[in-house]
Amino acid sequence: MGGSVLVWVVLLGPLWTLLTHLSFGTLGRALGAPGALQPLATSLEAGVVTLALLVILGSPLGYLLARDQVPLGRLIEGGLLVMLQMPPLVIGLLLVFMVGPLTPLGHLLSGVGASATNTFLALVVAEVYEAAPYYVLGAQAAVAAVEPRLEQQAALLGDPPWRALRRITLPLAAPGLAMALATAWARAVGAFGAVIIIAYHPYGLPLQVWTTLDQSGLPAALPFALVLLVVALPLPLLAYGWSRRARG
Amino acid sequence: MLEVDVTVARREFPVSARFRVEDGECLALFGPSGAGKTTILEAIAGLIDPLGGRVELDGRRLTSNPAASGPPGLPVWRRTVGLLRQDPGLFPHLNVSQNLTYARARRDDTEVQRLVDQLGLGALLKAAPRDLSGGQAQRVALARTLLAHHRVLLLDEPYDGLDHSLRRELTALVRAEVRGRGVPAILVAHELGEAQAFADVLGVFDRGRLLQMGEPSELVRHPLSRRVAELVGYRGFVPLAAGDGTGGAALSAGVHPDRVRLGAHPALGHVFVGQVAASRALGLHWEVDVSVGAAQVTCRMDDAAPRPGTTLHLTAIDPPLFGPDGQAHLSSRPQEP
Repeated sequence: MGGSVLVWVVLLGPLWTLLTHLSFGTLGRALGAPGALQPLATSLEAGVVTLALLVILGSPLGYLLARDQVPLGRLIEGGLLVMLQMPPLVIGLLLVFMVGPLTPLGHLLSGVGASATNTFLALVVAEVYEAAPYYVLGAQAAVAAVEPRLEQQAALLGDPPWRALRRITLPLAAPGLAMALATAWARAVGAFGAVIIIAYHPYGLPLQVWTTLDQSGLPAALPFALVLLVVALPLPLLAYGWSRRARG
Repeated sequence: MLEVDVTVARREFPVSARFRVEDGECLALFGPSGAGKTTILEAIAGLIDPLGGRVELDGRRLTSNPAASGPPGLPVWRRTVGLLRQDPGLFPHLNVSQNLTYARARRDDTEVQRLVDQLGLGALLKAAPRDLSGGQAQRVALARTLLAHHRVLLLDEPYDGLDHSLRRELTALVRAEVRGRGVPAILVAHELGEAQAFADVLGVFDRGRLLQMGEPSELVRHPLSRRVAELVGYRGFVPLAAGDGTGGAALSAGVHPDRVRLGAHPALGHVFVGQVAASRALGLHWEVDVSVGAAQVTCRMDDAAPRPGTTLHLTAIDPPLFGPDGQAHLSSRPQEP
């Protein structure tokens, strides 16, 4: 018991350190500076758009993978695992070769007046690539935990598939889906490796931490690190608490 | 009326069945586990696609016609076929009351209340499924199925694991509901007593084939093959001596433990002489294995079992006779109507 508490305290060491090195005065001065909160707004906006895209595009894929209803499902799953394990910096580098201005996709985007480098779109693209595997695989696990027999039972009681999805699958998978979404949120808002390569501007919170550290030193970066944690962590913690309660 | 004539592909063997169940009639499909009984129910419900054949309900085709480019089969949710399985399949995020009324667009409190009272669910309405015992969960599942007002009722070994009094109670209730609603009902069971208690018509199923159908007690008395006899409880097959009413054929008599009388009563059936091999208590009776030549038969006795080695005369009452091909000998077959 005592050992477990010790491990927990040690694991959370960086958090305690952050809190002990910050004062309200430093925090107020840093966040009160002109334009200091703009990266926060950028991160929130990009995070919300990323999450919306993941929910719209990733949820059906997660469902189909969970129910083995997609051709070459294991291959797709393998691909997602590769993306999950790929270093974010490498993802950023490869995205430049995929959607950069000199690529066919880049040309296509410039044709409609858009660009996927150093734009808000680029930030969203980078966040989607960093967070998508977490969400899709999480959604797959959440749906797989719902017994297909229950959907079958709903059908036997007269529910077409969409109604069984609404009345049975989604409510039962909701805690798992919330966890997947919260994890994806934390990954998206905290995305740095891919972002620094293709979306240096407009920079969000992680890049604000990095540039402040680079230009003004460690103490000046700490307030923004705290803001990043405050934005990224509550959702996963709430989702965790909810899923624990929902599972009894 | 439900008409079934389907073949379903399975890894071990194809499963096929052909039968008809009238409105208000109870059919029990009885046979060993893995015989393919559940497969037939799933094909009727639309959970699996048959390889061929058809399922019709009131003249309306439920299955697609694989051989023709006709309309596709009806999906599960439009078949109005209820299936109650051993796993009650209650929705864990809904309480008992919500589970009961799941399939009901309009609330008809009178009927809900009637079934709640009949099944003793009154105190459980707010309970979560995880807090129910196995018997309680099965009663809720049964009520939910009945409240959905399906046009066909399928029961797939729904009472396995429940105590006998509850089984009897639920069987009686389902039979009354089937009669009252005038819907066809099929029960799948691997216990003969349970199948008989439910059935107007009994079907014996084995290795993917429906071997025999008939009125339950008639079928047990007159199995059409040795395999059916084995399945419905005949525990010994004694070769008859030539001239012992066999007409010269090599026949054997099927001996059912409940159709054996101690002593020689030639007027009642075939008389055998054998030695007691073993015995065991069975409720208030004794079950005694008796060696008759190379065969062994089992009989039930009210009194204490005789010692092993004791010589006994036994009369198998009107036993079915089987030829070397395992089929019932003509003289022992029931007369066709």
